[in-house]
Formats: sequence, C-alpha cells, structure tokens
Amino acid sequence: MRCGFCGHEFAESEGNVGCKNCPMSSGCKMVKCPRCNYENPPEPALVKGIKKIFGKKDRE
Amino acid sequence: MSFFGKKGSCHETPTVSSTGAKKVALVGNPNVGKSVLFNALTGAYVTVSNYPGTSVEVSRGTTAINGEEFEIIDTPGMYSILPITEEERVAREILLTERPHLVLHVLDARNLERMLPMTLQLIEAELPVVLVVNIMDEAARMGLEIDIPLLSQRLGIPVIGAATAKKVGLPEIRAAIAGFTASTVAPFGYSRLMESDIAAISGCLKGEYILSRKSLALLLLQGDDEVAELVRDSEGDGFAQVETAVKEKRFERRESFHLDLSMERKSIVKKVLDGAFRTPQKRVVTLAERISRLTVRPATGIPLLLIVLYFGLYQFVGVFGAGTLVDFLEGKGFEEHFNPWITGLVKGNVPWPVIQELFVGEYGIITLGFRYAVGIILPIVATFFLFFSVLEDSGYFPRLALLVDRVFKTMGLTGRAVIPMVLGFGCDTMATMVTRTLETVRERVIATVLLALAIPCSAQLGVIMSLLSQSPRALLVWSLCLFGIFLLVGLLAAKVLPGDTPMFYMEIPPMRLPQFSNVLTKTYTRMQWYFMEILPLFILASVLLWLGKITNFFEKMINVMTPVMASLGLPKESAVAFIFGFFRRDYGAAGLYDLQSKGLMSPRQLTVAAVTLTLFIPCVAQFLIMKKERGWKVAIGIGLFVSTFAFGTGWVLNRFLLLTNIV
Ligand SMILES: [Zn+2]
Repeated sequence: MRCGFCGHEFAESEGNVGCKNCPMSSGCKMVKCPRCNYENPPEPALVKGIKKIFGKKDRE
Repeated sequence: MSFFGKKGSCHETPTVSSTGAKKVALVGNPNVGKSVLFNALTGAYVTVSNYPGTSVEVSRGTTAINGEEFEIIDTPGMYSILPITEEERVAREILLTERPHLVLHVLDARNLERMLPMTLQLIEAELPVVLVVNIMDEAARMGLEIDIPLLSQRLGIPVIGAATAKKVGLPEIRAAIAGFTASTVAPFGYSRLMESDIAAISGCLKGEYILSRKSLALLLLQGDDEVAELVRDSEGDGFAQVETAVKEKRFERRESFHLDLSMERKSIVKKVLDGAFRTPQKRVVTLAERISRLTVRPATGIPLLLIVLYFGLYQFVGVFGAGTLVDFLEGKGFEEHFNPWITGLVKGNVPWPVIQELFVGEYGIITLGFRYAVGIILPIVATFFLFFSVLEDSGYFPRLALLVDRVFKTMGLTGRAVIPMVLGFGCDTMATMVTRTLETVRERVIATVLLALAIPCSAQLGVIMSLLSQSPRALLVWSLCLFGIFLLVGLLAAKVLPGDTPMFYMEIPPMRLPQFSNVLTKTYTRMQWYFMEILPLFILASVLLWLGKITNFFEKMINVMTPVMASLGLPKESAVAFIFGFFRRDYGAAGLYDLQSKGLMSPRQLTVAAVTLTLFIPCVAQFLIMKKERGWKVAIGIGLFVSTFAFGTGWVLNRFLLLTNIV
C-alpha cells in the first residue's frame, strides 16, 4: 500500500499496526506508515475478497 | 550470520533455488515500481515471508522464460550498498548470500541522476547487473530524453527502458533475464588519489569474496562494520595489515572520505549522463506540478486552501452531508417512519414504562442513540471521509504541511504537526494518539492542547456547519473565533513551554488524480471503523442518560448547569447538549442540532453554543487517550484549562454579540 500522507510505499504488514492499549477500540485497525506514522486505513476484508474473486493482485 | 561466505568469488556459478531455478534479484529505491515489475514477472505464485532473523518481508515468485524457470526475489528498498536501515541490510544480504544469477536494478527515469550512484556501486562490486530505467512514460511527459543505448555503452551493462505499470519493456526484461551472461568490468574509475587509496586496501585482501575487492575496500574505508567483520574472518592473521591500511587512509582523509567518494560518484554520473540524458530547454511543467507549486506558495496556497475548505467542507460535508442527507435520513427516515413504528412496537409488547423508556424514550437507546448514530452522524462522517480520502489520495496533505510550516513554527510546532491536526478533523482521539510521532515532548503537548481545544472532529464539524449555515454570519464568527483561538493558544503555549522548535524536512510525493476505487475503499474502511466505534458508545451514553433520568440525577445536573447556561445566554435545555458532549463531541453537536430543529435557539445562542461546545472539554475517549499519552497531570491540566477556557470564551462571545448585534 501507499501512505496517504508521504507517499511511501510499504507492505501492509510492514506498517505499525494499532495502538494496543488504546481504550477506545482495543486497537483500531489503522496501519501506520513506517516513515511518517500517518494512519492509513487497511484494505477491508470485503474488498480483498472481491479483488481475489476478480483475480486482481494488490501488492502496491 | 553467514555473510559473503569464503567459498567462491563473484565469477563462480551463482546459486540456484531449491527447485533448481536461477535466482533474479530486484533491487532499487522504494517507489520505483519494483513491486509492479515483480508482479508482472511472477504472476500468481508468490510467497511472502520474513527474512530469517528479521522483521523484514521478502517476496519470492517464479517465472518461466523459454522453458527455463527463474526465481524472482523482490528485495526491500535500498539506497546504497552501504546499508543504514534493516531493510537495506537485508537487501544486501540477499545479494551476497543468495548470489543471484542476475541483479535487476530498477530506478526511476525521472530521478536518474540521484539513483545512478547505486548502479555504479553494483557494477563496481562486479555483481551481474542489468539496469531497468523505469517510469519512462512519465519522464517522456516531462520532456526528459534518455539515450538508452548510449547509457548502456557508458555503463558497460545492459540497460532497458521501461514503463512497467504500462507493461512497456517487459519482453526486453524477460529476454535479458534469459540471455544474460556476466562479463564486463566497470568502464569508469575514480580520481588517481581515490584509486590509490583503494589499491592500498585491496592489495592487502587475500581471501575469496563475493563482492569485488574494490567494492570491499570502499566499504571498509566507509567504516562498514559488517564488512570489516567478514574481512577479519576471511583474512585471519592478515587482517591487522588491512586494518592498519584502512586507519591510515582514513586518517589522511580526515573523515572527509564519505563526502569525497559521493562527490566523485556524482561526477562520474554526470559524465555518464552527459549527452545521454537531456532535460528540455523549456522544461515541460506538467499540470500536476503546476498545481503542486500553487499549493505550497502562501500567496496562492492560502486562497486555494480556502477554496478547498469551502467546497469540500462547507458545501459537500456541511450543506450536502449534514443538510440534505441528514434531513432525509433523520427527518424522513427516523422521525417520520422508523421512530413511530418502533415506538409502537416496543410500547405494544413491553408492559413496563421504565423499560419502554430505555429503548424508545426521550433518551432511548433506539430513539436517541441509534437515531443520532445512523441518522445524523453517519451521513456526516460519510461525506467527510469521502472528501478526506480524495484529498489524501491526491497528495495534498504533504503540501499543506509545507504551506503551514511557517505559521506552525511560531507556535512551536512544525509542518509535521499537520498530520495530527488534519486527522483531528476526522477524530481527535486518534489524532491525539498520532501526536506521539512528533519529535519533541514540547511539540506533543502543544499539539495535544490544540487538538483538545480548537479542532472539532468530523461529525461535530459537520453538524456545526449545517447548524450555522443558515446564518452565514454565525458561521463566520464561529470560524474566526476558532481560528483566532487556535493561533493564540498555540503562540501562548509556545511561549510558556520551554524548548526549541525542531527542523522540518519532508520529501513530497507527486500530486496525482485520486483513484476512484482507492477513495471508496478508504472511505468505506474509515466509516466502518468509526461506526463500530461510536455505536456502542452512543448506546452506552443513552443508557447512562436513561439512568440519569429515572434517578432524577439528570434533572439535578441540568439544574446545576442552568446558571452556567444562563450566563452564556443559552436556554436551559442546551445543558443537555453539553452533557451529551461530554460523552462524545459529535453527540453534543447532534444534541444542538436537535434543539435547533425544535426551534429553541436564536442565531446568537447557536453561535455561542457552537463555539463553546467546540472548545469544550474533549470527549471521554479523547481524555483517556490524553491521560495515556501524556500522563494524569498533563491530561487533567489540559481538561481543566480547556473547560474553563471554553466557558470563558462563551461568556465573552455572548457579551460581545449582545453588544454588537452582529449575529
Ligand atoms: Zn507516510
């Protein structure tokens, strides 16, 4: 995925996921950019599923 | 670590994968289209796994060319073969331990000059390199001309021009992979002094290595510890001599070695590119670049920002989202149809009035909590997140950061603080968490205060926009008030808190047209997250309010707050909105919305209430996050300051409006 703020490209698993002790949500699912820490929404499971069906690979 | 093992030099047969396939490593900076090329080459059979002993991920896939199978390895981004980050370390280790049959160096045609030094390093290391000059299409659009054959001749390696995103150059790349035979020695060299330094070191190297001696000598001179370790292992007793030679040369250079080397590499790149790379006389400035420039210059950037805010926030979120959509969903959907129906249903089936009250009463879970969440908040956050995602995807935010950097500096912040501030317009709670990315504690505290005080969250913002949009003057007063307070408090905080403002530097990604699917995906994700977050809280709040009502505690609270409300010139009922506001900012704003639609507020009262409520204490969640990020003392301090400040401002504003009659 590509960071919405600084444009840095990184794999979703590379981002710093969630803030574990956050009382709000027991960890939101945001993926934080390893370069600037901007919070990017991960691709929802639904969209991933649809992409899989249509055989579109998303590694950008 | 089994780093560049002793056996074999770079000219030995490269290792093959377990299946017997020759290995091809993709290397290069991040953002040059390596992943796209990787996908295009490998198709569906890809494995992604952590590199042993690290958290760095490496993707591998296979491709068959002319019946022969190749394993393609997508290495992490690297800027140089002298590694700094863990990613670079892993990328280099792959080059060395896996000894690929071919190294494809992918670079960005638009930044050829900046990225070629790494190609030089790969060549001088005598690795089997093929250069892929990617993103040629964009470069051509910018009017850049690149002479690929000349480049290939000067570098002494195959060079392929490509636009992998458009599948241009793929056949050539596949042909290069299949038909590659390692051969040449670098056709370029350094200054006599540099070469003699290199010779002094490489002459001492007796062991067998994967990298060329020249490359090793340079890495040693640059103080690469891993290479030093390796050479120590390989040379045994002879290492002392190497070490002495390195020390001597480094001493002679007085630490200027890195600089000297990079200057020499730059000048080699210049020579290589001379005549092979032409920028147009009158550089073609793309539309995106032109817009980009306009956004960062204060004279044009500020009006542009206002235009973006007017159309995006006011028209789209405020008028369309909070007006039209809410009218439809809340007014038509809930008030006219759903609420009467569900009320009838519950009252018909549940005999106890107290329980009826819990679900469908004045503060009922369904009639209030659910109605606010779905009827008022959802359409507002939906339009807001849509607008937000479009801006995000276009690359506007980093430009905004640059634009406001100067203003923020006076507040002890840097442009970097734009990230939490902008996120704050989405949700202050998550933005408060993001302040931890700011460099200094001082910056974090200032940003936290500003977020708690002057940045309304998306739902609150939308509701307030639609509330005040009936009276443009009210909206103007509200905006000026908040903007003024934002600046004032920022300036004061910077004065009060000791410390200096750090430097701000940022690489700006290109501006581009937002991708529809991407925007929708992001909007959907954010909405889903937001909704999951607020619905339970709204329900909890409804239950608490219901409890408050049946125990009369709520009445008492309102009675206590009545004088405060009166001093702000507000009707007694508005206390409810403030109590709601404590649960969530947007809940409070929705409460105001309700009051207004019942015709209980004059424009002046609305303005005062909106300003006070925007400034008013952060919601419970934000408070908890503040406590977590900054500690009890700071959190309580900020909470007290913000509440006092909010009511103080409300009081002053009310007096002012009464006197001047502006609204
Ligand atoms: Zn980023």
